Formats: sequence, structure tokens, C-alpha cells
Amino acid sequence: MTEINDLISKIVNNVQEEQANSSSSTNTATASPQSAPTSGKTMTQADYPFFQKHPDLVNAPTGKNVKDVTLEAAINGDVKPEDLRISPATLKAQGQIAASAGRASIQSNFDRAAELTKIPDERVLEMYGSLRPYRSSKQELIDMAEELENKYGAKICGAFVREAADEYEKRKKLKGDN
Amino acid sequence: MKRQKRFEELEKRPVHEDGFVDEWPEEGFVAMDGPYDPKPSVKIENGEIVELDGKKKEDFDLIDVFIAKHAINLDTTEKVLAMDSQKIANMLCDPNVTRDKIIPITTGFTPAKAAEVISQLNFVEMMMATQKMRPRKTPATQGHVTNIRDNPVLIAADAADAALRGFPEQETTTAVARYAPMNAISIMVGAQTGRPGVLTQCSVEEAEELSLGMRGFTAYAETISVYGTEQVFTDGDDTPWSKGFLASCYASRGLKMRFTSGSGSEVMMGYAEKKSMLYLEARCIFITKGCGVQGLQNGAVSCIGIPGAVPSGIREVLGENLLCMAMDIECASGNDQAFSHSDIRRTERLLGQFLAGTDYISSGYSSVPNYDNTFAGSNMDATDYDDYYAMQRDLKVNGGLVPVKEADIIKARNKAAKALQAVFKSLDLPEITDEEVEAATYAFTSKDMPERNMVEDMKAAQDLMDRGVTGVDVIKGLYAGGFTDVAQAVLNLLQQRIAGDFLQTSAIFDKDWNVISAVNNTNDYNGPGTGYHIDDELWEKIKDVPMAINPADV
Repeated sequence: MTEINDLISKIVNNVQEEQANSSSSTNTATASPQSAPTSGKTMTQADYPFFQKHPDLVNAPTGKNVKDVTLEAAINGDVKPEDLRISPATLKAQGQIAASAGRASIQSNFDRAAELTKIPDERVLEMYGSLRPYRSSKQELIDMAEELENKYGAKICGAFVREAADEYEKRKKLKGDN
Repeated sequence: MKRQKRFEELEKRPVHEDGFVDEWPEEGFVAMDGPYDPKPSVKIENGEIVELDGKKKEDFDLIDVFIAKHAINLDTTEKVLAMDSQKIANMLCDPNVTRDKIIPITTGFTPAKAAEVISQLNFVEMMMATQKMRPRKTPATQGHVTNIRDNPVLIAADAADAALRGFPEQETTTAVARYAPMNAISIMVGAQTGRPGVLTQCSVEEAEELSLGMRGFTAYAETISVYGTEQVFTDGDDTPWSKGFLASCYASRGLKMRFTSGSGSEVMMGYAEKKSMLYLEARCIFITKGCGVQGLQNGAVSCIGIPGAVPSGIREVLGENLLCMAMDIECASGNDQAFSHSDIRRTERLLGQFLAGTDYISSGYSSVPNYDNTFAGSNMDATDYDDYYAMQRDLKVNGGLVPVKEADIIKARNKAAKALQAVFKSLDLPEITDEEVEAATYAFTSKDMPERNMVEDMKAAQDLMDRGVTGVDVIKGLYAGGFTDVAQAVLNLLQQRIAGDFLQTSAIFDKDWNVISAVNNTNDYNGPGTGYHIDDELWEKIKDVPMAINPADV
């Protein structure tokens, strides 16, 4: 992980957060209070385990707090599979914890992951499939990058797919190259 | 020639059934220090790597590009490459130099520099370095839980058995691929019955494996393979970018994951590009780092026969484990494939990781007899438990396992089988009979199990997926069957994915769901009396092997 990449992803994050704050109702996928629980503070190694240190911040993307995910609730049908998912805010917090423990590359992975939380399971599996060798034309990859960026606000993932598209072209890993 | 009788006798020894081959660098049959390995170099222009290990940017293959863009610290790499490799190697095994002083150096390596540094170390020095560089202070080991009939009742009982013996991570797979969801549920229910907090996985095709995790049937994955040459990577049906994307998919669903690589795979798949095994493995470790993945299963893994056949090969295997940990990545260090016909060599294979301690000494140890191991058998299996316990006791080493009482094992196996029986009933899966529960409780292998209707089971497994069954349904089934404690354990497991603490490096859980990882259990080894040591409670358990005679009884 390079410093420059770190810097870029930080800037992209900031821009995204600003966008999310200014137009929070435009998100198409899961317009829910997913980014709500940030105390504004940057998490460090001292905030770990996050579950133990900040149970109030451990919310599913649906907004359900982990403390409400009880056995009783599960039996009564009050726990949906969506209530058992990690939120972008929690992934950001875990990324900050990883970076504070000296693992910036893990943070970059969690930053991509935070973006992918918004995408439905089937679509995310398809996207992985499209990135495998000889599956997609360059245009198809660029279209996917645009979908990531425009439909899901996934700027870091979009850039990652664009980078793949360029390299696949150079090294002949596009559809029809095999 | 008239045969000398001692030579004739020696030829009957099991070691003669093993494969040994002379070095053949052109085809990649060289462990380390290969004659065609590139010399370390790096050149940066305008914030971009334009030369890597003797190769110009325009000649980069996909792996070079990915490493140059994502895996090397641009701020430090030129300075690190100017350092004397022998001096860095010295720091690695010097107890006076702590781990946190070394990470800033190793993260500035290039793959060739990494291989050059590791090549300076002899086997004992590698062990010295390993006990210090392991990210998690507390060592552990991982277990395989499988059987060749994909019998779900036996998987549950065996998982409970393995959990009681101390495996904090357990891995299953299938004999027949269509069983995957059923095996995943069976190992999860069994493991949580044996000891809450155990993480379970089901190794199948990449996309399907993720899908099992999304449904709450598994907690982590590790068979996400990466390779050291572009051709083999492509033949493996992925690229560094697809694997990096997949890694983020796992994290986005709150699932732990690590990659898998290992020397010998490129030779096996025919494109080693004349490079040594250690150099190619270094590239895999860099890809892992560049993807931001917390861990790696390496150490030749299923290709152990290849490094095992060449001179200094088993030393190279420890070297690649060490490099993984030295780059601050969780290491599940192989010892997971039947390697030798010789019990002496099997032990030799294990020793480096066992004595020095890694995040997972085996990945995994076959918790079932190798007859039932559908990963094609492991280096150690269920019939080796008492030898393993004796080794831990003789040498005062925590190899990750603890001796158990027969009565406790019978109880746990029986409860796990019954818990799964309840889940099957609630999910309307083919019945598990009381006869099967009894057989699984006392079984040695799947031969001891009554036949199940495999066609019905496979249909039911597919139906589980089609019906959209999730982990919450498993919890309901356990609760309905009166297994409230197991239901609670599965719920706790699913809760953890909301919090994400176990996505951090080298994370496992204790029985009370306290996470133990490199973040809060950092390896602080700094010479004798520091770092990990066996506490009194664990030592009492390790000492208590079933074979020991109490002098008071004599």
C-alpha cells in the first residue's frame, strides 16, 4: 500500500461522506441509517475490541443495535438476516483500528468493503465473476465501474475495477483473449 | 552387483516410498536461491515504481503491476533495499530486536529482497524468528472435520470432539460438492456444541463459499488461492484484482478470510518460469498484502510433495511461513497434507512450526482418521493425538491442543449429534435417527455409521439454498429442540459479524467470545521470560495425558 494510495482513498472518503451528508435520501440501494453511528472520533487500537468498548456503536445497516439481537428476538422472528450484517461505519472503524495497529493495507480493504455493503448479495457475486479472467470486455468492466460509482457511490471500488480493465487489456485477460 | 544386506534392509523403510528429486531450476524444482531468481531492485519515478526486481515497468506482468501499485511502501522501499540482507536476517532472529522494529523494514521489501533475506537463515534461526514474528502472541492450530460419506451426523459429532480438544478454527469440505450447505451447518452446530466461540468454514468453489458465508452457515474462509506466476494465476481462474475484490466482498459481509498459496503450486501447474519456490511464494505474500487481506494459509499446503522432494525444501517451507508473518500477515502454516510415508519425516515436517509456534501450526490437523479426510489426508490425524499430546508435554510446548477425558468426549459428541437431529427436524431435512446419533457418538470412522440415503440428502442440501434458509433458521431449530445454549452460541457467532472484531489480523475467540488477535494479543517477544508462555492452568491440562501414571496409585 502506497502513501499516495492512502491519501487518495482518504480524499475520496471525505468527498463521499460529504456527498452522503448533503444528499442522504438519494441512495437507491438501502436508504437506511447505515452511517449513523460515528462519534466523529477516529478509532485506535485502544477502541478494540469494538464490540466490548463501543457496544452502542455496533449497529447493523438496518439500524438495529447488536444488543437488540437477542435469542428471544431471533425466535420471535424479530431478527432478519439483514440485521446480522456489518455496517459501513463499523468497517470504517475497524479500518481505523487496523491502521492504528500499523496495518494500512487492511484499512484499504475495509474501505472497499464499506462501499460493497450496499450492493445486494447476488450482484456482488456477479461482479466478482465479471472480474475473473476472460469474462468481460473492457467496456463491460468500465460499465461495471460506472455502476459501482453512480449507483452505489463506490468510488474506491470503481477505481479498482477501472485499473483492472486497463491491465486486463494490456495483458490480454479480456473476453475473447483466451 | 551383490547386494549389501544393510542396504537391502534400508530400502524396505517407509522413507523409500517418498519422492525425492534433484534440483532442476529450469522447471522450478529449486527451493530457494534459484540461479534464475531476480536480484532485488526498485526504482521510483513520480511516485510510481518503474523498476521492480530487475524488471522495467513496460515488462511487468499482471502480478508485478499489482505488487508495484498496491503492496510496497514507496516511502521506505529504496532505503530498505539499500540495507544489507544479512543484517536484516540477523535482526529477524535476534531476540533483542522486537517485532515492531522489524515490520517497518519488511513492509519496504520487494519480493526478491524478501526471498534474499529469508535465504540467509538456517532452520533454527527461522524458528527463532518465527516465535517472535508470529502476529498473535498465543499460538493455535486449525482442524479438518470431514468424512468420505459426507455424513452430517458424524461431522457434527466430530466437530464437537475437535472443539473440545482445542481447535479454535475448523474446516470442512465435501466429498460430493452438492453437500456443501449441509456440511457447513453440521460443522457449525457441532463446533458450537463442543465449545462456543469456534470459527467454522466449508471449503468449496470461491463464489459458492462466499454464498454460504452470506447465509450465515460459515464464519470464515481460506481457500481463496493466489499464485506466483501470471499463467498459473490465470489457470486458477482469477487475477489479483478479482481476488482483491473477493476479499472486500467477504469483509463487506462481516466474514473473516485469508488467502491460500504455497510453494510447489506453480511447478505442479507447469509454469514456474524457472524461479525458485521461495521467490514465487514471496510474490503470493505480496499479493495478499496488496489486497489488504489479514491472513494467508501457506507452507506448500496441498503441494507439499514438491518442496518436500527437493534439497532444503522443508526449510524453504518454514521460510515462507516466516516471511508471511514477518510481513505482518496471519499465518496458517500448512502441515495439512499427507506428506511422507515415514513417521520420522512427518514429525520433521511439523517441528519448525510446532516448536516456534505460528498462528495456526496446522491448517489443518486432521481431527478425523485420515481415512475420512476428504482433503486427501493430513500430516497428522486423529490417531496421532496421543503422540502430539506427549510432544507438548515432553517439550512444554503449546501446540494448540489439550488432552481430553473419554467421558467428556462421549457427552459432547452425543449432544452435537442430537442438536443436529433437532435442526434437521426443524428445517424439514431427511431424518436423523436415534440409531445414527448413537453411532456418531461412538464412531471411529464413517464406516461405523448406518447408511443414509445420499440422493435424498443431496436434494435436501440444494433445497436449503433454494428455500433461502439462513443461520437464523438454524438458531430457531436448535431452540425448538431444547438446545438453548447451542442456539445462543450460534447467535453469538452471527452477532460477531456485525461488530467485525474478528476481521482483524489473526483473530480467534475463547469460549466466552473474547476476541484474541494481533491487535489485543500482540506478540511482544524480546528474549527469555518475554512473549508467550504457557500459564499454570494450561500446563496442568497439557501434563494430564491419559497415559500418565499417578505415583499415588502405584
